[in-house]
Amino acid sequence: METATLTEKVAAKTIPIYIMGKKYEVPETLTIMKAMEHSGYQYIRGCGCRGGVCGACATVYRKAGDYKIYTGLACQTVVEPEMYLTQIPFYPANRAAYDFESAKPTAETVYELYPELFRCVACNSCTKVCPMDVEVLDYISALKRGDLTAAAEISFDCIQCGLCASRCMGEMAQYHMAQVARRLQGGKIAPKAEHLEKMCGEIDAGTFTDVLAEAKKMTVDELKKVYTERELEPHMGADEWTPASNFGLA
Amino acid sequence: MKLGYYPGCTLKTKAANLEKAAMAALDHLGVEYKELSRWNCCGAVFSLTDDDLIHQVAPVRNLIRAAQEGCDTVVTICSQCYNTLARANKLVRENEEKRDTLNRFMTEEPDYNGEVEVVHYLSLLRERVGWEKLREAVANPLTGLKVAPFYGCTLVRPEEVAIDAVDDRILEGFIEALGAEPARFSASRECCGSYQMIAHPEEGIKRAAKVIGAANRSEADALILSCPMCEYNLGTRQREVVAATDGLTEVPTYYFTQLLGVALGLDTDLCRLDLNGPAAQELLVDKKFIAAATV
Amino acid sequence: MPYTPELKELIKIVEKTRPERVAKKRNGEEIPFLSLDERKKRLDFHPDFKTEGRRELKVGPSKGYGIAHEIADLLEAGSRVAPEKVNLSEPAYETDVLVIGGGGAGTSAAILASQHGAKVIMATKLRHGDANTMMAEGGIQAASKGHKDSPYYHYLDVMGGGHFTNVPELAETLVTSAPDAIRWLEHLGVNFTKKADGTLETIHGGGTSRKRMHYAADITGAEIMRTIRDEARNLADKIQVLEFSPAVELVLNEHGQCAGAVLYNMETQEYFVVKAKAVILATGGCGRLHIQGFMTTNHYGATADGIVLGYRAGVPVSFLHTVQYHPTGIVFPEQAEGILITEKFRGSGANLVNVEGNQFVNEREPRDVEAASIIKECVHDGLGVPTPTGRLGIWLDSPMIEDLAGEGTVKREFPGKYILYKRFDIDISKEPMLIYPTLHYQNGGLEFKETGETRVPGLFVAGEVGGGIHGANRLMGNSLLDIIVFGRIAGTSASAYIENGVKDGKLTLEHVVKYNAEVAKAGITDGRVAPAIIPNYTEAEVRSRQLTANYIGNVR
Repeated sequence: METATLTEKVAAKTIPIYIMGKKYEVPETLTIMKAMEHSGYQYIRGCGCRGGVCGACATVYRKAGDYKIYTGLACQTVVEPEMYLTQIPFYPANRAAYDFESAKPTAETVYELYPELFRCVACNSCTKVCPMDVEVLDYISALKRGDLTAAAEISFDCIQCGLCASRCMGEMAQYHMAQVARRLQGGKIAPKAEHLEKMCGEIDAGTFTDVLAEAKKMTVDELKKVYTERELEPHMGADEWTPASNFGLA
Repeated sequence: MKLGYYPGCTLKTKAANLEKAAMAALDHLGVEYKELSRWNCCGAVFSLTDDDLIHQVAPVRNLIRAAQEGCDTVVTICSQCYNTLARANKLVRENEEKRDTLNRFMTEEPDYNGEVEVVHYLSLLRERVGWEKLREAVANPLTGLKVAPFYGCTLVRPEEVAIDAVDDRILEGFIEALGAEPARFSASRECCGSYQMIAHPEEGIKRAAKVIGAANRSEADALILSCPMCEYNLGTRQREVVAATDGLTEVPTYYFTQLLGVALGLDTDLCRLDLNGPAAQELLVDKKFIAAATV
Repeated sequence: MPYTPELKELIKIVEKTRPERVAKKRNGEEIPFLSLDERKKRLDFHPDFKTEGRRELKVGPSKGYGIAHEIADLLEAGSRVAPEKVNLSEPAYETDVLVIGGGGAGTSAAILASQHGAKVIMATKLRHGDANTMMAEGGIQAASKGHKDSPYYHYLDVMGGGHFTNVPELAETLVTSAPDAIRWLEHLGVNFTKKADGTLETIHGGGTSRKRMHYAADITGAEIMRTIRDEARNLADKIQVLEFSPAVELVLNEHGQCAGAVLYNMETQEYFVVKAKAVILATGGCGRLHIQGFMTTNHYGATADGIVLGYRAGVPVSFLHTVQYHPTGIVFPEQAEGILITEKFRGSGANLVNVEGNQFVNEREPRDVEAASIIKECVHDGLGVPTPTGRLGIWLDSPMIEDLAGEGTVKREFPGKYILYKRFDIDISKEPMLIYPTLHYQNGGLEFKETGETRVPGLFVAGEVGGGIHGANRLMGNSLLDIIVFGRIAGTSASAYIENGVKDGKLTLEHVVKYNAEVAKAGITDGRVAPAIIPNYTEAEVRSRQLTANYIGNVR
């Protein structure tokens, strides 16, 4: 970002970290991801969106003198002195293929695809390890009791990084089960949007063909005029708002 | 007493007919409770097969959830859940070493030292409401209905968590309070056949047949249950059991909570008789306890 | 990383001017909006208008067209691998449709192509789903509510947003296919935020005349991506996914048709050929080229590979001179650098203020004007806030929202960002945010038609890699829409193209040989190679010690 970089780059204090057991001195302000790059690593695996939503950079670490396992996303977690880290860019997980069209929106669909669901002993390791603070055990519990809607809601922030599966003593791949639940919820349990269906029908019937053909023929100045004069739906108004003119509407 | 209700998985899926009337009855009887907002499987699926301590994590975590919600008592209806939670609670209370191990394992949760009391719904009725008060609340006495009380295993074994330790006849007391007549029933504490019905069907059927035969001999009109597993073996699969065994006749089965709902005169829909066989509905209609149109 | 003591001192200046600014806001006293003339002058500070930021292309089908140096560097570069070294007679894979790119556009294309009976291989540089699609938060536009909206109004908004330069046919296809795209996603199980009766919730976005922004909480893109990825995985017998296998060249045949690609296994460093009857390029944008040194909201793989491939094969570029900078990206703390701060903060009343605690622009100017003003304030006027990482930023005064709308508003209305900052020990309901414009979107790309076709037979385009839909400026919520609409179209068109019969022919990389010669003839002799594949963030000092490392472009 040279357009806004100060001429003298401020030298940040460095701290020691251990990448897979090997010591590196890195600036204390960096994320784990940038610290690894700073140290000379170039990512192929283990790096994706760099914004905390894709699940590519799951990282496991411990701190000196502490038995606990800590987890985080490498792109979101700032380095700490004496942290011992490794990334888990891939973890094998059983995924059952299914035909979504014919799948029934019931718990049995999930049970048949993933009978190992019942291997859960509620040890809660999945929830403890989740870098997104998803209550994994809670959605697994919801699936066991057949509540797909709850499972879909509780698992909504899941980024499918696989850390839960890596720690599961039941050897399950929780996040694949949650994906089935969310799709059944979104596609088959939640009520359909009727207004959407209606609009698709209007478009198929050619309701807007002529008015769009006119618009496409307009000169830039003509277009600017209708653009400027178009009615604006108020920000704070209700969904039911209707424009004064029904020109161009179905 | 602040009462938390722990439902258990099966009551939220297959055994809605065990749950609905029970909870409506508590409202009706003025017993305040709250359903726990976070809970997991009671642990039954695994803890009965192995006594490894990890299997106690699930039930103990549920007791922690109850404590977190400020409950000093947690009630459950499914006898399997009751058994699992109560045994885990007993373990925590009596075995300091194992308790510490469990607490250390669940460092993400507050420590638990057995603060919460686990009670079965029947105990709650007997001790909190009382048979006398229940009798008074009955609007639709089940007069003339002879009911065989089936305890099965998990309400009464092992002895230290048995719910009828007080007078040895908790289900009988319940039946009488509803205005019905308890049948003298020799198989009331037998095993229903449990998972043998799947693993070794012949053995399972033999077990179930013993229970149904005893109910026949007692001349009971109906058999009442408290456990979804017992319901599966004695209710859902009863027709197979009867067909495979000489000299048996079918007998309607109910969860005890369904008869409670009928006797209290609650909305029949709450009793979810649609989940039982048709004979169960017909018997109650014949006896004029419910109207035909409502089922 | 919480704010340092130095920054906390600077925040005191912001706090000092805040009561007066809040009072003005309450009284409706605003910094006046710039007039059209003033806007034009201000835009001189916008990176798009910085003449020294771009140059005319010396080679290829769009020779003479001025675009950013960073993209030009890649277009005026040789191939990564010498064409004669590639064994074209023994393809490693043969398929009907080769989809290059595993984001939203590529995945939609793969699903549709397979539904039309084509055998599909999807080659993706990183993992399936590692794409900007995953990162889109705000929503997806479609005129779905007939009582107040229609494709006609959506069309006007798209054209106006693009300064009336958009290709009308592309814009028309975008808006008329939009409701069906949403219906398809709903059918596949995307959890759009809805009312209890199934009515989709919709809100405004910048430049929309009707509320038509559909969303799935604040992770719309991720919800869409993981759903269609799941569907593609269910079709594993028809869609084979090759991960960590970027394409480095398109392969043509003797009839001039696109007939496959050369892929690179990044882990084993092998190059291999996929022979296909049709190819869909869905490689996304260019944020990771850090045009003019800007930070970016884009994912790791956004290096414009598809532009390079398509351009070498003979497809001109269109609208590639314009790039979208989002005015408010996080510039500190560093771990969140480049991440977008939604316009909603400014819409809710938060001022932009400089290091002296003063306002310098109305916070509700259009994106490009806002971005230009921030750059001017920092770079030209020297009133930016210095960050501990050596950058400059501007305060976005989020605590004002608490003063204006009541305590707790920030946490309630902006839960995602509140939690993000909380992780860094910064409470944005009490402390302002440090922002700077961030490279967000490649408005232009390869020229293509509304059927997804390009000038090269058998080569189709979908998503951010294509140019023309959005003209010179894209509106929020039209990129998620673009990838679904044109992804589906490309998949359908490619399979129809195959059904109409494709002549088999000898595979060739002759176009690459010619292109390399053209590059050499233009006097470019520094040995640059393209595509970039991944960025290189290795410190110069570290690189200087990597004495035996063999870099080919960015890739070691």
